[in-house]
Amino acid sequence: MPDLNAIRTEAKRLLAEGVVDVVVAFKAGETPLHPQPAFFRSADEVDQLVYDGLCQNNLATFLTRVPKQSKVGMVVRGCENRSVNALVVEKQKNRADLFLIGVPCEGILDWQKIVGEVGETVKSVKENGQNLMIETKAGYQLLERHDFLHESCKRCIHPNPMSADILIGEALQEGDPNLARTAVETFEDQTIEDRYAWFQKEAERCIRCYACRQACPMCYCEECFVDHIEPRWSESGATPAGMQGWHIVRAFHQTGRCTSCGACERACPMDIKMTYLTEKLNHDMREKYNFEPGLDAQTQPPFAAVTLDDKNRFSV
Amino acid sequence: MNLILEKQALQDLLQSWRQNYDVYLPQKLERFSHFMPLTETSVLVTDEPHNTRIPPKSLFLPMTEALVKFTRYGGYEDARHEIQPRIVFGIRPCDAQAVQLLDTSFIQDEYTDPLWLERREKTITIGLGCHEPCLNGFCTTVGYGPFNKADLDAILTDMGDVYLVETFSQAGDACFQGLPVAAEETYQEALAVQHSAHDQMPVAFETENLKEKLEQNFKNNYWDEVSQSCLGCGVCTFLCPTCFCFDIVDETQRRERVRNWDSCMFRTYSLEASGHNPRPSRVERTRQRISHKFVYWLDQVNQIGCTGCGRCVRYCPVGLDIRSMLRQAHSLPFEVSHAI
Ligand code: SF4
Ligand code: SF4
Ligand code: SF4
Ligand code: SF4
Repeated sequence: MPDLNAIRTEAKRLLAEGVVDVVVAFKAGETPLHPQPAFFRSADEVDQLVYDGLCQNNLATFLTRVPKQSKVGMVVRGCENRSVNALVVEKQKNRADLFLIGVPCEGILDWQKIVGEVGETVKSVKENGQNLMIETKAGYQLLERHDFLHESCKRCIHPNPMSADILIGEALQEGDPNLARTAVETFEDQTIEDRYAWFQKEAERCIRCYACRQACPMCYCEECFVDHIEPRWSESGATPAGMQGWHIVRAFHQTGRCTSCGACERACPMDIKMTYLTEKLNHDMREKYNFEPGLDAQTQPPFAAVTLDDKNRFSV
Repeated sequence: MNLILEKQALQDLLQSWRQNYDVYLPQKLERFSHFMPLTETSVLVTDEPHNTRIPPKSLFLPMTEALVKFTRYGGYEDARHEIQPRIVFGIRPCDAQAVQLLDTSFIQDEYTDPLWLERREKTITIGLGCHEPCLNGFCTTVGYGPFNKADLDAILTDMGDVYLVETFSQAGDACFQGLPVAAEETYQEALAVQHSAHDQMPVAFETENLKEKLEQNFKNNYWDEVSQSCLGCGVCTFLCPTCFCFDIVDETQRRERVRNWDSCMFRTYSLEASGHNPRPSRVERTRQRISHKFVYWLDQVNQIGCTGCGRCVRYCPVGLDIRSMLRQAHSLPFEVSHAI
C-alpha cells in the first residue's frame, strides 16, 4: 500500500499552494468496508483523506461533474489515470487543469467476498502485502489478499498510473496481458447457445437502476440513449428485450473507451457480470487496432478518429 | 394464537401450502437472496444476516407490468393477469411495515390502485423476526423493530430447534392449523428473544425534531455536502421497500401501456416537457429522497417513511449512508414550531 501520509502531504500542498481548487479522493465511510469518494477543498480537511483496497469507485467519473473551469487534483490508480486520459482525449477536461497524484494499485477488494468469508461484523481491515488481516467481533482472521480481489482487478494489465504528475510509492510489475486475453477466449470457446444463455442470465436480472452507467467515467452523456423519448431507442421496462438492449448498447458505446476498471460491475446491486462484454471489445481493440484506451491523452480511439481521406467513408 | 413449529417440519408445511396458494420465499440467487416462487426443490434461505436484496414490494408493485394492451382501430383491452391467492413467507418486519406504509398511498377512497389492492387482498404475509438483527438496519431508530408486527398474518421467532409462531389473523391461524399450542413458558422465552434483539440495536440517529430541522434547512448547504459523491443511480430507491414511484410509458412497438419503477434520483424523473428541470442536480434530488422519507411522509400519514431496512446503506455504490447523513442533520439549526 502506498504511504497514506505521503498522499496527504501532496494533497495538502496542492490545496495550500493553490495548484488545484479541489482534490478528489476518498474518506472513511461509516464502516471500514465502504470508504466514500470525497472532495477536499482546503488543506486542513485533508487529514480525513484515506486510501485503501476497499476504495471501490473510479474517481474519474467525478471529473465531468465538477465545474469545467476548476482545477482538479485527483488520487488515481492505473485505471483511473487511463480514464482521465480518455476523458481528456474526448475534450471533457484540459490536462493542464489537472494534477494527478498517482498510486500504484494492488487491486480492489470485493467487500462482499470479505463478508461472505468472515461474516458481517468487520471492525477493521489491514492490508499487508499479500495478506489481509480482518478484525471481526469474533477476533482476527488472516486472509490471502488475492482471493478477495474483484475479477477485473485480477486480470488488470496496467496497475500503475502511467501519466500521473507525481507517483507515490514504487511502481508495481505490469500485469500479464494473457490473463485478459484468456478471459475473453474462454468465453468465446463456449457454444453459441451457452454464450446466449449466459448473456440472458446476466442481462435479464437487471433492474435498470443504471448504477453501472453512473459509476462509469466514460458514461457522461447528458442524455443516455435509454432516456431518450422521441425516438425511443430502447424498450423502457425491465423486460427481456429492454434489458438485453440496454446491456448490449451500453457495452457498444464503450468501444475503444472502456479502461477495464470494473467500476460498473462493482456498482451493480444485482451482481451482474458485464465486463465480459466490454472486455471483448477491448480485446478486439488491442488485436485489430493495436489500441488501448487511455494510454496517453492524445490518441483518438479508432472508432472516433475521422480523417478526410478515410478510405471507408462513414455513411448513414 | 401462539404455536410451536419444529424446524424440521417447516419444509413439509411450506409444500402443503402449495396446494392452495402460490408461495413466495427468499431463495438464493447469485450472491444474495430473492423472493421467488416455491417449487418442489426450492431451498429456503433464513440464515442470511441481512435482508433480501430486492424488497418484497416487488411482489405488489412489479418492476415492470403491462396495464393496457392496445388493439387495432383505437381500441384497447386490459392487460392484467389474474392473481392467484398467495403466501409470502419469510418477509422481514421492516418490509412488512413498508407494505403497510405503501397501502396509505395505493389504497385511498377515491384513488385506489386496483392492481395493488388485488395483490394485497390475495396475499397472506408470514414474517420471520430478526433474532439476530442485521448491522445495516436501524428499524428501532425509526420507531419500528426487529419483531414489529404491522401487516403480518403471523410471525415466527427462531428459538433454536423450533419456531414460536404467533398468529394475528384467521388466515394466519389457517396456515398453521394443527400445530401444538406453545406453553406459556416457551412464549415468555420467545418474548425474551424478541426483546434482546430489540435491545441489541443501537440508536442510529436522533429523530427528535429531525423533521423540523430538515424542513427549515431546505436551502442549507448541508444538502450540497451530503450529495457530493452521489452518483444519481437508482440503487437506494429501487432497493428501498417504501419507495414506490413509477412511470407510465406507452411501448408502441409492443402496443402496451406499461408501468415501470422510477426514481427521484434520476435526471429524467423531474424533467419537464419544456426542458426545464425543477430538480436540476443531485443536490435537489438527494434532498427530495431524504425529505420524502423524513418530512413528507410525516406530513401525510404521521409516520416516518423509512423502516430502517438498511438496504440503501448496504448497497449504495459510493458508500453514502443515510444514518450518517441524518446524524449530520442533527446539528442543523432550527426553531421549534408552535403550531397546534
Ligand atoms: S464500462 Fe465498466 S470497466 Fe469500462 S470504463 Fe466503464 S465502468 Fe470501467
Ligand atoms: S447496475 Fe446492474 S441492475 Fe443496475 S442497470 Fe446496471 S446492470 Fe442493471
Ligand atoms: S445509491 Fe448512493 S449513489 Fe446511488 S443515488 Fe442513492 S445515494 Fe446516490
Ligand atoms: S431509506 Fe434506506 S433504510 Fe430506509 S427503508 Fe429505504 S432502503 Fe431501507
